[in-house]
Amino acid sequence: MDFLNSIPTHMDFEGQARAEKLSRIIITLFGAVGLIWGYIIQQFSQTVYILGAGFVLAALITIPPWPMYRRKPLNWQPAKNGNDNQTKDGAKKGKKK
Amino acid sequence: MHSVLQRANSILAYALSVLACLTFACFVSTVFLDYVTDANINTVKVVVKNVPDYSASREKNDLGFLTFDLQTDLTHLFNWNVKQLFLYLTAEYETSNNELNQVSKGNGCALGQDHIESANKNITLTLSWNIIPNAGLLPNIFASGSHSFQFPVEYTTSRM
Repeated sequence: MDFLNSIPTHMDFEGQARAEKLSRIIITLFGAVGLIWGYIIQQFSQTVYILGAGFVLAALITIPPWPMYRRKPLNWQPAKNGNDNQTKDGAKKGKKK
Repeated sequence: MHSVLQRANSILAYALSVLACLTFACFVSTVFLDYVTDANINTVKVVVKNVPDYSASREKNDLGFLTFDLQTDLTHLFNWNVKQLFLYLTAEYETSNNELNQVSKGNGCALGQDHIESANKNITLTLSWNIIPNAGLLPNIFASGSHSFQFPVEYTTSRM
């Protein structure tokens, strides 16, 4: 169980943006290529299949939290020890950042 | 986009939107095409019989039999927005009761068998088809070219 919990499953902010952008690009590209190819051979089913391949590829690349979406982790403020006042100040500073 | 399910939902929705756009593009690319083409129709053997029609009643009715030749090339009608064509042959004739009577036979018929009053003189055969598309309209196309013929005045009693 410890081993399972040690597997990182999150994406950082930049990674989420990259994943979404990448999935849009892949699906749009496959859709455009499929439209052109389907028009050339006059088979709309081929267009749908190519779009489906693009969907599968986008799913494989952008759905699992691959390590490449975890390159810019957020640096959290260090926890402060002290009374309530100081903790509030720390929270404000954290928000500003 | 912070969880696997959210990302899966997002790309599925986007892929389906793209599919809808592609289907619309396919429809737009074929909506202005002209599907009319020539058809050569000829009748070989035309007879009229007076036989009971058990599907309607036991009374005797005039039954026209005709064998026809049909020659047409429909291959150029097929494109990426045509799944299949539904072909049918129509016999048009005029009677004292109605100015326009139409009898249709579905596809795959080699031997037409229609109820026709023997009083009429001119029967016109035309070929038409429905285009069944992937997306878009379901047009009813009439082929250019028809064939007119007459049924004989006397009944045929022998077997064909």
